[in-house]
Parts: sequence; C-alpha cells; structure tokens
Amino acid sequence: MSWKMWSLKKSPWVFHVNSGACNNCDIEIVNCLTPKYDIERFGIKLVGSPRHADALLVTGVVTKQAKPRLLEVYRQTPKPCVVFAIGACACDTGIFRNGYHVAGPVDKVIKEEDPNAIVVFVPGCPPKPEAMISGVVKALAALPA
Amino acid sequence: MKQQELENKLEQIKDKLIGIEKKSDTRIYLDCESENAPDVCRYLFEDVPLRFVIVTGIDAEHAFEMLYHFSNDETGTVVTVKAFIRERENPSIESVAPFIPGAEWIEREVHDILGIDIKNHPNLKRLILADDWPEGVYPLRKEVKQ
Amino acid sequence: MVEQTLHNILWLLVYPGFIFTLAIGVIASYVVRKVSALVQWRVGPPVIKEGRILQSFYDIIKLLGKETLIPRDAQQIVFLAAPLVGFAGVLLLSTMLWRISFTGQPYIGDIIVAMYLSILPSLALILGSSASASPHAAVGTGREMKLVMSYELPLALAFIVVIIKTGGTLNLAAIAASEPAPIWSISGFLAFFLALLCIQAKLGFVPFDIAEAETELGSGVLMEYSGALLAIWKMMQAMMLVALPLLLVMIFLGGFHVSTPWLTLVGILKYVLILVLIILIKNTNPRVRIDQAMKFFWVYCGIALAVAVVLAMCGNYYNISWL
Repeated sequence: MSWKMWSLKKSPWVFHVNSGACNNCDIEIVNCLTPKYDIERFGIKLVGSPRHADALLVTGVVTKQAKPRLLEVYRQTPKPCVVFAIGACACDTGIFRNGYHVAGPVDKVIKEEDPNAIVVFVPGCPPKPEAMISGVVKALAALPA
Repeated sequence: MKQQELENKLEQIKDKLIGIEKKSDTRIYLDCESENAPDVCRYLFEDVPLRFVIVTGIDAEHAFEMLYHFSNDETGTVVTVKAFIRERENPSIESVAPFIPGAEWIEREVHDILGIDIKNHPNLKRLILADDWPEGVYPLRKEVKQ
Repeated sequence: MVEQTLHNILWLLVYPGFIFTLAIGVIASYVVRKVSALVQWRVGPPVIKEGRILQSFYDIIKLLGKETLIPRDAQQIVFLAAPLVGFAGVLLLSTMLWRISFTGQPYIGDIIVAMYLSILPSLALILGSSASASPHAAVGTGREMKLVMSYELPLALAFIVVIIKTGGTLNLAAIAASEPAPIWSISGFLAFFLALLCIQAKLGFVPFDIAEAETELGSGVLMEYSGALLAIWKMMQAMMLVALPLLLVMIFLGGFHVSTPWLTLVGILKYVLILVLIILIKNTNPRVRIDQAMKFFWVYCGIALAVAVVLAMCGNYYNISWL
C-alpha cells in the first residue's frame, strides 16, 4: 500500500463545502463534529482552509452559481484527496432533479474537472451523524491503495 | 395594537382597495390594483405602523400578483396587500424600497425570477440566478418550459 | 575539529535534537489530545488501538505526501523560507536545552540566547503569513504581531526575577542547578505563574490562540500553506511543546537532571506537571480577543511582574530567601 494513501487513511482532515444545500445536511455535519460523536478517535479534524484538507464534505445539489466556486475549492485541495457527497441532493440531485438551477450532482461536476477523482456517496436526507461516521470509516477502509 | 384598533385603521384606506378579505381573524388580505399598492404599503408601514415581513410574487393565470406581508406582532395578525398586475407582456410595479429598506433584496429576487420590472428601485441587479444565466429567461413564469 | 563538527551535527539531528525532540513532542501532543478529550467527557483517540498515540506523527507523514501548492501572488522566497527559519530556531533551542540538562555544562548559550531562539518561531509565523497573499492571513498577521509584542515583555521580566534570585548569573546550567529552586518563594511563584501564561500564548493554545485558530471554522495565519511546508509548521509546533516547558523547568523548577534514575523521574514529573497545567488552562478558558489579551499582558502581567521584581530585589538585598 502506498504510504501516501496509508497515512491519509490514518488522519483525514475534512473541509466542509456547501454548494447550494438547504442547510439540513450542514447542520448534521456540524453536529457530527461535536464532542458527542467524538470523531477525533479516527483522527478526523475539521480544518478551516481547503489547502489543509484531505476530504471535502460537499452538501447540496450543485447549483449553476455554485459550480465554478466548488471547482475552485477542489483545485485548491492538494491531491490526493477524497470528495464525500453528503445527502441525497449531493448524491444524485434528490428532489431537485429537473430544476432550472441545477448544474448536476456532485460526482458529475467534479469529474468534469478531474476524471480520476474519488467520490464517495453518503445518502440520506439528511444522513444521521452515525450514518456519516459509518460512511467515512467504511470509505477510508475501502479506498484503493 | 389590539385587533379592533387594527381593523379600524384598515377601514381608513378602503378607498384605495378593491376589497378586504378576512380568511381568519389573524389573516387579512387587502386586494388592490398595482398602481395603488405602494401607497397602501406606505400607509401600513408608517402610519399604522406594522412590521414588514416579506414579499411574494405569484404568476396566477389571469394576472401577476405581488403580495406584501406585514405583521402585527402583538396579536399575531398578518396583513397582506395583494396587488394585481394585469399587464402580462411587460409587468411592472413601483418599488417600495425607498421607504422600506428591507424590501430591496426581495424585490431584486422577484425581478430575477418572475421578470416583473420594479420601477425606481435603487439597485436592480441580478441577485440569485447564476452569473451566466441568459437575460430575459424568467424561470418561474408559467409558460417557460424546461 | 571535523570530528567535533560531526558530533555536533549528530546531536542536532538525532539525539538530543530533531528525532528525539520530535518523538517526545508527538507523544506530548497525544497527551494533550487525550487529556482534553477526558476533560470534555468524551473518549478521544485510543492509546494502543490503531496506534493513535502517534497521531501527530501520522499527520506529519500525511502532509509530506500531499502536493505543495504555492499561491500565485505570494512572495515566494519568504513564503518558502519562513517555516524553515522557525524550524531552525526550535531545533537549536531544543538541542541547546537538552545538552545543558544532560551534561550539566554550559553549551553554546545562556538565558538570553534561549529567549532569542524562542522568539524565532513566532517571527517566522508572522513573516510566512504576511507573505501569503491572502486577506485572512493578513488579519491573522496583524493580530499575531500585537500578541508577540504583548507577551515578550512579561516573559523577559519573569526571567529577570529568576536572574536576580540566583545572584545575577545568566548561565542556564547554573540557574538549573541553583538551590532552592526559584519557585519556592513569593516572587518566584508569581513569576512562574505569569511565565506559564506567556508560554501558553507562545505555544498558540487557548486562551491566546488568536493567530492560528482565529475563526475556528475559518482559517488563520497558516491558511495558504499546504503539503510539505505545513508539515514543517506542524513539526515546529510539536517540538515547541517540548522545548518551551523544558525551558520553564530549567529556569523555575530546578532543572532536569539525569545523574541518577530518581532525579530523571523527578525531572519527567516536573515536565508533565507543566504540561498538565497548560492542558487544564487550555480546556477551561474561552479564547480572548486581541485587545483583551493586550490589556492582560501589558497592564496586569506588567504590574504583577514589576511587584515581583521589587520583591526579588528586596529578598536578595536583605537575604530573605522566601521573598
């Protein structure tokens, strides 16, 4: 296993991006980072700058207005990095499927910029913090070396 | 103010309205034409006075409707001014932002989404549609198909 | 001559310099995380399972494996050199302090050199963040500059108290070996407590972490750093967690002697005591604003330390050792 991926699995630092969400998933993400769920056990830390991050937690269907900004944040995240699409809207546009403002689900938007991006789906509306933790841990264990 | 006092005050601008509709004790609709709407709003905001809540824009079949919602916090009554804009091709209405500063952004949003031209607005720029959205396409109008 | 230089390089890089201090720093930062977690009634990273005791080490390795992005508008030379300057300062400081503790003989410097070297990391932080062309980092730079100007004076005054009490010697080895330790006196105790708060600000811990975690969900002075450069900053922070409490132990608590196993154990307990005090202050206080911090250091600490200096001089003049 390459040492870069191994060390990324040991200490993933996350940065939270809202690309047009209703804020429900954002509240659950912030909930997840409180002492009750204690994700410091996994070495996960919330950082304030995408340049420090290994994992982007993207919520919300990507609106046409948010798309260039989301891609800019993705470019600023040093590779290797993982993109987590949190919530039904981020996974596959959810209830906004034919909306006039939708630019696409997160994985389609990110793959335009970088076809080799690693995108992990955590469905739910909003996903419970336990579901998010379980999703992140399983994804980190299953990442290709 | 109390409910009775509010109703007395609403009687005083009856001449500018088409009708007063009371869906319930706490929900009063004042119907008027679009030319009178800013005057009624100014009366409600400054003379009664009520607290401005939000503006709603609706594309009803026969006309555009602009609803200005005002709240009487003591009794929980919401008074709504329903302004009909009969002209479907180039709808326009006078802005209330000069005397209600909080209405500035919501009027920008209604202009973006429904295409109602707000006259005398201090800053009628694009607010919520994407930067590269084509001009003249108003998403929430009924005839716009995807 | 060549042999001495090679010896010096080995001391700097392996033992007791870089590798040794970094190892202790990693374990010390794990202790900080675990105790903070227990104080907050949560479990925190497990000790043995998954090897989380080396969590800071994994952080550093991971950062070394990521790409280093440099902003286009940044001042490139200063941006790249700043972390190295800070790292060099901490490296030299920790090597110097460990050598003095282990051999009991003066090595290169004395208390003034220690003060100068301990300023280098903060200075490097200011330079590095002002070289990143980012408005967030610029705000952090201004605040860090004000904070550094505030706490350096009380720290110097606290050291002066100890210098007076040990009879005017600047020699760190002599201060570390002085009997009784300066803390067993009123002025010494006051100076120790206020120096502990200054060290808290220097390490960048709450309540004085105004520069780095300034808007906790925002960014800070290190906003534009990524990859290998950020790894150097993290290594610097881990090593500061060893070097600065060690400096306090040597100056106030009577040194870290290793001549017998019992004394080594006592030395380790002294270091752990300071670490625990730092952790407790960290977990029981909110972050203060920059103007509150400046007022605290200039007014309250300054007056208290002026009183302590006067008490120390009186005690020295009249030969009262507990004053």
